[in-house]
Amino acid sequence: MGSMPALPTLIEGADMHDHWRRHREWLSPTLFILPGAAIFGVVIIWSALQSVWISLHDWDGMGPMTWVGLGNFEELFRDDNFYTSLKNNLIWLVVFMLAPPIGLAIALLVNQQIAGMRFLKSLFFVPLVLASVAVGVVFTWLYTPGIGLLAIIFSAFGATAPALLSDERLVTFAVVVAALWPQIAFCMVLYLAGLNGLSEDLIGAGRVDGARGWRMLRHVVLPQLSQVTFIAIAVTAIGALRSFDIVSVMTQGGPFGSSSVLAYMMYEQSIFSYRFGYGAAIATVLFAIMAVFIAWYLQSIYKAERGNG
Amino acid sequence: MPKLQLSRVTKSYGAFHALKAIDLSVDPGEFIVMVGPSGCGKSTLLKAIAGLEAITSGSIVINGRDVTSAQPSDRGIAMVFQSYALYPHMTVAENMGFGLRMANRPKEEIRVAVERAAATLRLTDQLEKLPRQLSGGQRQRVAIGRAITRSPEVFLFDEPLSNLDAALRTQMRVELASLHAQLNATMIYVTHDQIEAMTMASRIVVLNAGRIEQVGSPLDLYRNPDNQFVAGFLGAPRMNFLAGTVEAIVGGVATIQLAGASAYAMPLRPGADLAPGSAVTVGLRPESLTPTDGAGIPGTVRLVELLGRETILYVDAGPLRSVGSDTGTANLTVHVASAVAAPPGAAVRLRFNPDDAYLFGGDGLRTLSAPKSI
Repeated sequence: MGSMPALPTLIEGADMHDHWRRHREWLSPTLFILPGAAIFGVVIIWSALQSVWISLHDWDGMGPMTWVGLGNFEELFRDDNFYTSLKNNLIWLVVFMLAPPIGLAIALLVNQQIAGMRFLKSLFFVPLVLASVAVGVVFTWLYTPGIGLLAIIFSAFGATAPALLSDERLVTFAVVVAALWPQIAFCMVLYLAGLNGLSEDLIGAGRVDGARGWRMLRHVVLPQLSQVTFIAIAVTAIGALRSFDIVSVMTQGGPFGSSSVLAYMMYEQSIFSYRFGYGAAIATVLFAIMAVFIAWYLQSIYKAERGNG
Repeated sequence: MPKLQLSRVTKSYGAFHALKAIDLSVDPGEFIVMVGPSGCGKSTLLKAIAGLEAITSGSIVINGRDVTSAQPSDRGIAMVFQSYALYPHMTVAENMGFGLRMANRPKEEIRVAVERAAATLRLTDQLEKLPRQLSGGQRQRVAIGRAITRSPEVFLFDEPLSNLDAALRTQMRVELASLHAQLNATMIYVTHDQIEAMTMASRIVVLNAGRIEQVGSPLDLYRNPDNQFVAGFLGAPRMNFLAGTVEAIVGGVATIQLAGASAYAMPLRPGADLAPGSAVTVGLRPESLTPTDGAGIPGTVRLVELLGRETILYVDAGPLRSVGSDTGTANLTVHVASAVAAPPGAAVRLRFNPDDAYLFGGDGLRTLSAPKSI
């Protein structure tokens, strides 16, 4: 009789085991995904939703929030600074699209089996390891009137370099060029990895078929790199839209807000002007624009995965 | 005029010589199969002919034209790759017509060439599909079709069937052989599969360590290998190699003492450089050994493979010594052309006709026994 109570426990244990075995197929992936999903939910989804909520209020960041409905958005769409920032974001987006093709060109160049290419490759790689703040500082020096590298080059030809960072028309381009440098390096690394994965047989087949030079690139190599190209373009587009740090370091949006972008404007309104509701409204608009690219990105990945399956 | 002429073709990577002065002449319409162990240089040689690998020295002449330094597309060759190497983003028709398109041929000519090749290969219904929508066998046929549309002087195949399953491989082997007959084309085919070599080749080229060991018809190579390497490479299961000693030589017949067994009289080939007392290797094909009730080499059955109409016996033949064996005892492979019930552990006696045995010895382990009739 003394051993009787132990029996139900045993059976229960076996039951648990059985239960686990039957549901293992969906339970274990769920358990593995859970921590990541929780962090993503709190840090990304919850913050984004909260930011939308804040955008419907007037709030200085500390005091009570006042409901204003779509008031912040109405003000935003009448704000000239918003359109300047939006236009600058567009310039960023367009100029940034030079990064994938230039990155590809450099990748093709340094991928040649020539002595010294490893060294050259590492030189092109440098901007990627620099903090973007450092890149911004370096370019600010480069543009400095009188003593910067640009000024020295111009004076060698007897000309005077434009003061890029204080010229309202040129300042955004000057900042984008600085940001383009590491972006090109990033695209180059993506393409180098892609070129490493090229099928040697396919290149051989192309050579037997008489594809040479540009036609080899166009018909045999590029189609194999389409996945890399897609990632390069998507990441570059999102990078252009969320640009903030280099603007902050080089111009702080100046002169007179002429080089501001949406991300910087949001920061400036929230932190310097204590208008968190207005800043959140800018963030919401920026999020909506990015969502278009993200949706396109996800849809393409989803389609590619279904195609392989 | 030979279709393909290789003269002293050499390929070196620094101090490593992948190809060592290869000479080969291929006549129009021949089906040449190049075989050899991994790293023997067979694929390198094929790529050198294709122009995908530059050679270090020597010359390659195709159809009377020196193409040693010509581009792959200007050599009059077409190549079928092991991985098929189909352009994944192009349809079957585009894949097959790509070479002509790159040669700037008119659209109509390309269409006709593609449709004719597709009809030959039963691909007419697949022309608008992408490679990934096709089965392995169909992809293989598209790769062959791409070669056909180029109407090359020489077809090059780099282990084209090794990615297919066994049944499909047998089928494609037959199809390739009939395609060869139908096109009357010159083909060079690299494989490590000796069944492909034996069944398809008009001549087999056996390569080893960057050198040609022997060239000849499949049966010729099987019956009269020049040396121990060729004898060991062709034939499955592999030839048995046993250690022996020359006891005496009388009138072109050597008496060979097999280590641990009796002596056998074996006819020598004229000019065989052999003296009494020298060590030789005796080669016995598995089918030359027969289980017997009478006198013979005693052994114990270790393993039996019953294949239905034939049986492979693996026999521990105690006192004999295998060449290259660490254990000191000989493991003989015996092929019997019928089903044999021999449980593992059973004692057997094996006999063989000394005329069927091979003798190898001396420089390069050359064949010393008399040639066998085919």
